[in-house]
Amino acid sequence: MTRTRDTRAVLPLLLGMSLAALSLPEVAGLLVRILGLQAGTPVPAGRLAWLARQHLALALAGFALAGGAGLGLGILATRAAGARLRPTLDTLAAAAQAVPPLVVVALALPVIGFGAAPVLLALAAYGLMPVMRGTVGALATVPEEVRRAAIGMGLTPAQRLFRVELPLAAGPILEALRVVLVLAVATAAIGALAGAQTLGTPIIVGLQNQNNLALVQGAAAAASLAFLTDAAWLAAAAGLARLLRG
Amino acid sequence: MTRPAAWLPLAAAGLAVAALVGLPFLTLAPNRLVPGSPVGSGLAGAAAGGLALLAALLLAGPARPWRARLALLAALAAWCALLVGAGQGAAGLLAGKPQAARAALGSGAWLAGLALTGLAGEAARAALPRRGGLVAALLLLGLVSLAAWAGLLGSLSLAVEYRVRAGAVGEAVLHHIGLAGASLLLALAVSAPLALLHLRDGPAARLVDGLVSGIQVVPALALFAALVAGLSGLLTLVPALRALGLSAIGPVPAVIGTAAYLCLPLVRGLAAGLAAADPDVLAAARAMGLTRRDVLLRVRLPLGAPLLWGALRVAAVQSVGFATLGGLVGAGGLGALIFEGMAQFAQDLILLGALPVIGLALAVDAGLALLAGPASGEEPA
Repeated sequence: MTRTRDTRAVLPLLLGMSLAALSLPEVAGLLVRILGLQAGTPVPAGRLAWLARQHLALALAGFALAGGAGLGLGILATRAAGARLRPTLDTLAAAAQAVPPLVVVALALPVIGFGAAPVLLALAAYGLMPVMRGTVGALATVPEEVRRAAIGMGLTPAQRLFRVELPLAAGPILEALRVVLVLAVATAAIGALAGAQTLGTPIIVGLQNQNNLALVQGAAAAASLAFLTDAAWLAAAAGLARLLRG
Repeated sequence: MTRPAAWLPLAAAGLAVAALVGLPFLTLAPNRLVPGSPVGSGLAGAAAGGLALLAALLLAGPARPWRARLALLAALAAWCALLVGAGQGAAGLLAGKPQAARAALGSGAWLAGLALTGLAGEAARAALPRRGGLVAALLLLGLVSLAAWAGLLGSLSLAVEYRVRAGAVGEAVLHHIGLAGASLLLALAVSAPLALLHLRDGPAARLVDGLVSGIQVVPALALFAALVAGLSGLLTLVPALRALGLSAIGPVPAVIGTAAYLCLPLVRGLAAGLAAADPDVLAAARAMGLTRRDVLLRVRLPLGAPLLWGALRVAAVQSVGFATLGGLVGAGGLGALIFEGMAQFAQDLILLGALPVIGLALAVDAGLALLAGPASGEEPA
């Protein structure tokens, strides 16, 4: 079990690296020629790297916003209202799920304007509820006896949370956060529609101008970034799990 | 039935009042493309806020059936005040203005509407423990249709935009349902054998698992773009495929791309549903001499039905959302309206595309939950 956990990051890492190679102008150009597609101007590697940095920054900002707030509110909800809040949370999460990120970006556009802000809002709106629901659900899996034992040992509420409940609930919480991280990378790509400069930009430009080269480069680079981020998260989560196990 | 947190209705009513007081209720603009100047909510807003507070206070008291019913009535009355206030306010603003002027719902009206929806939902759930949320949604929608039918909302810019494009919106909704339905069918056709493979634990199951969850990591925009490039490459290599109706732009990449994302919930749900039967039950079925096929069809499927329905429900809701991206690859549907609105920066056009997407997703969710019956245990949102 621990072995499979530790090696989960290898496959996304390899995939991400090969897709990154595919996004280079020379490699993508070769592929486009083999497929017999009409190629346009390539996106230089330097520009692609800059877009990737912008993309990652936007996605991480959105992830920090949605993940941090979701985690915090989830913990808060279990402190204040306990299980009574769960039906409402489930309903809200189901309702929020009906509004895809693309629609949030589109709706936010006339209100907030072009750029990164609508993307951050979309992430906060779409990512917050799954993390919050996942956190509340994960904390509910901590057995009541364990909780009572911790109280009996004389731990303060903060100590109970950080030393007992969170470590025991870490698995599902980390998994919920991973989903939101992947979602953040995907939503940042869609953000190109709202004028944010991300790896989605070459895709949109490629679709509009029928520039298949930019299309392939952007798609490969965006997918590569998603797999590399996922690999980094899996590796970090495996490290954290080993640390928690002591 | 545990009561939901008691402060929730009060928070919703507070949000409604704050939105009505602090945010623009309506906006008046010289045409459909420029942002408008804000206008306050006036008397109707005060009435809506007061009724919302009344409903929340009724709900905050001891739980009695009459209190819950009165609260639901108050919430519905607040909703009416909001609708009439917005519609009549818009008509008043536009009086004597040139034809191109638009009076749109402001952020305050939208936020107050959302808060009132939540409040009515809480009140209905308190009044009717089963299906309360659904009843509230139908009542609120019914009031909106009634107001629209009576011509009360005709001056709002959304209604004006709809009158211009009624045909296109209707067509886009049907097209969108077609895209989402085709994707769901394709995903089901692919997922069913994969789920059966998944059932026989082993390297094949791990491969299927890795594949469907790997697709989930790829950003949807990248996958749709890759499908466009890949399909046009395929068509250049094998031009005969064009005769079969395959094309690089249009519904084909949209349906394949959407279906790819539906495989994860479907394969996981189908596999879990088929594995739900107790090992003892399976052993008994085999001992009775049932064939493998009979075990699958007569034991595993009926026993796993709630899980199977749940997976189908998740996938159906997601298919409505992902099909929106089809507008980007020329597949039409509501996504096309949204992208046109984004390109023009026209808020009403974006809303005309976005509201039906949200409505469809919620309707599919509630509809499948209803069909699944009380056995599934989950209430529609």
